[in-house]
Amino acid sequence: MFQNRAESLALALPAALFAAVVFIVPVLILLSEGLRLGGDWSLAHYVSFFSTPLNLTVFIRTLKLGVLVTVAAAVIGYAAALCIVNLSSRNRGRMVGLIVLPLMISPVARTYAWIVILGRTGIVNQALTSIGLTDAPLRILFSETAIFIGLLQLFLPLMIISLVSALENMPRDAISAARVLGANWLQVFWKVILPLTKEGLVIGGTLVFTGSLTAYITPAILGGSKVLMLETLLYQRVTIANDFASASVIAMILIVMSFSANLLLKRLATARAKR
Amino acid sequence: MTSRFVSSAILTAVIIFLIGPFFIIVAASLSAGDTLAFPPRGISLKWVLKVFQIESFQSSFLMSMGLAIFGTLTALAIGTPVSYALARYKLPFGETIRTAVSAPIIVPGIIVGLALLRYLVIPFGFNLTLALFLAHTALVLPYAVRVVSASMNNLRSDIEEAAVLLGCTRFGAFVRTVLPNIRGGILAAFILGFVTSFNQVPVSLFLSGPGVRTLPVDMLAYLETTYDPSVAALSALLAFMSIGIVFLAERFLGFSRYV
Amino acid sequence: MSDASFLSLERLTLAYGDTTAVKDLNLQIGRGELIALLGPSGCGKTTTMRSIAGLLKPKAGAIRLDGNDITRVAANKRAVGLVFQSYALFPHLTVFENVAFGLRLKRISKPELEKRVKDGLQSVGLSRFAERRPAELSGGQQQRVALARSMVMEPKVLLLDEPLSNLDARLRLEMRAELQRVQKESGITMIFVTHDQGEALALADRIVVMLDGRIEQIGTPEQIYNTPVSAFVADFVGFENVFAVEDGKLKTSQGPIAQSKNVPSDVAGLAWRPTAVTLGKGTYNGTVRGTSFAGRTREYLLDTPLGAIKAEVDAGMPPYEIGESIPFDLPLENAAHLMRY
Repeated sequence: MFQNRAESLALALPAALFAAVVFIVPVLILLSEGLRLGGDWSLAHYVSFFSTPLNLTVFIRTLKLGVLVTVAAAVIGYAAALCIVNLSSRNRGRMVGLIVLPLMISPVARTYAWIVILGRTGIVNQALTSIGLTDAPLRILFSETAIFIGLLQLFLPLMIISLVSALENMPRDAISAARVLGANWLQVFWKVILPLTKEGLVIGGTLVFTGSLTAYITPAILGGSKVLMLETLLYQRVTIANDFASASVIAMILIVMSFSANLLLKRLATARAKR
Repeated sequence: MTSRFVSSAILTAVIIFLIGPFFIIVAASLSAGDTLAFPPRGISLKWVLKVFQIESFQSSFLMSMGLAIFGTLTALAIGTPVSYALARYKLPFGETIRTAVSAPIIVPGIIVGLALLRYLVIPFGFNLTLALFLAHTALVLPYAVRVVSASMNNLRSDIEEAAVLLGCTRFGAFVRTVLPNIRGGILAAFILGFVTSFNQVPVSLFLSGPGVRTLPVDMLAYLETTYDPSVAALSALLAFMSIGIVFLAERFLGFSRYV
Repeated sequence: MSDASFLSLERLTLAYGDTTAVKDLNLQIGRGELIALLGPSGCGKTTTMRSIAGLLKPKAGAIRLDGNDITRVAANKRAVGLVFQSYALFPHLTVFENVAFGLRLKRISKPELEKRVKDGLQSVGLSRFAERRPAELSGGQQQRVALARSMVMEPKVLLLDEPLSNLDARLRLEMRAELQRVQKESGITMIFVTHDQGEALALADRIVVMLDGRIEQIGTPEQIYNTPVSAFVADFVGFENVFAVEDGKLKTSQGPIAQSKNVPSDVAGLAWRPTAVTLGKGTYNGTVRGTSFAGRTREYLLDTPLGAIKAEVDAGMPPYEIGESIPFDLPLENAAHLMRY
């Protein structure tokens, strides 16, 4: 009954055409702009992009923060996930719900809160000056640190959920077996938990890393125009300098990184399904 | 037991880190003072009320609402058939089509907005609102396909065959046997799409103009000039709205089953 | 059109994409017959059944039902019912609504519909479950709902896909009796697909044994059981000792061995059931490699010059030990003659 090819194509075509026309073609054209100089294919734009110190700084900063946020999310994520799986199943559900909750709130709202917390008259500074650790308020906002904190808050839930899922699928006896054989807790983590949950780690890590690389709102609010990341740089280059070549280069970088991460995820998923 | 204490401590710290800022926003928005500060100086609803009076927020709220509702409906309208085709048929170029409709998730929204602006709006004078609508539909499409596909995969194909053998047409069999059973999935996809579209910023960044702006972008712009708690109030209101929708969905649908 | 070809499949060729599943199949089924399509998985029995239902359009050939050519008729317009292996009940409808589904599409009057559904439920003994959902029923009950749902449509042919495979042993016996009763009472023409020879032998009026998209043999259960025509069918119905015949001699791995009597020239193979092997006397010798007690009988696996031989004797006889060398015979009068090897 499901053999009719014409039927199947008729059902799929609207969505496929839509995706192609609205999305795939325009993006491809945008990417090709960065690869053309005059009428010919050329890497000149890429060369000039990376030769500009500001661009290079932004690129490296984006990568650096991506890695730092991912590592921090992994460490905190494991700690939180291990605590969560040891809860009763009802509490576990509630806890997961609480952690997923922030994902439903607009990133603008979530990031904006840090202004209140990290600003000159914000909580952190108030606390620090009242304890007497500093005399003048610290400038935490509009810095890489602020962006780091904002991104971490934004993406940590994804890592925690991913790890909780991986831990739930881990054979529970493995830990007991290791303990009986004499392993201490650090060894248990390193030799048992980590290898058995590494897929969850990679999934969470990919989500956090790509999310951090392609973030706009958090760098915009917490970094301003002083501390740029790739997406805020892109916005600036287009609106201020009409520089579509740079925009195209940045777009290519972002897409390549996002795409590679996704490919990795898919490969993992199929490897898992085969088991 | 110390390990239970440590466990609670860690989890409390994480929860405070993740949700604390939100409570601060809520508190800051109830401030009676004139600047954004925490702890708030006095309690007052004036900023919450002011939010409703700011004109640009009113129009951008309607814009965001419209985009979220119609964009998601359109994504479902074209996404459900393709999910059905992918689940039931051996579609020629099936994998390519699946990749194509899921691709918007991989590409950062800001690039989509820019591309549409540059190749559709500017050269052809394409209506800006329409371009925004297309961009939001494209944004939600992968979610629609993924969630509806998950529902379809849980449904056996033989009930459709059974319905046909009992006298239904193909379309009739779909309407009578498939739709009632994926209804929950479609609703979940709608809610997910709605929330995603409503909160989305990068896609809408470039696609704004006089009178055409989504609410989050409007809030961002407002932030650049004014430092009063009204944005905090608006953020808080929107957050409650999002949470409320999802909470109701979970309560009456078991929303989390589908995502 | 005679009653003997109430349903006829003529030179039917069925394919999925580029793979041919059934080639040039011919089959005549009489009105009111209970037919089993029997064979291993991949033999084409389910494909054939689905094409009768209209779920698969034939690549070539024709299907005629009650005098009409239904080859091109849409699945929802044939008077054919199908009970799916998974029952395919509509999870979102009650038992009553499931059974009423097809009738509702026909727009018969409300009292008529209710009567037919109630009668249908009663005939399968599920009147009390009318308002339940499928998920609340046991496997056997679900199957009876599926059966009622098809039967109330009064189809000309009822197809059943592996009706007994999913049931446990006791339920299987009950359902077997149920199907027989329903078929005899309604006189409906019934075709069921199975891979289990026991089911086919117990239920069917005639069995169609299939292999690789072709019919191997058609016959009554007695015919299939006692006189298989090919090595495949013989093996399928439990002849463990099957040999090809060349020039009147048995072909074995050790070379041709002459038989005690003359083998008819048109015979291509000989097959013996384990019970047909005589132990204790005979022209051949074998070493006992394995033995198992099976209640009323004892089974032996012998290493012999003819290859491995499986024998079964009454358990009352003194048992042989593993390693013992014993004489045995394959009496020609106990063999099934195979026309094809």
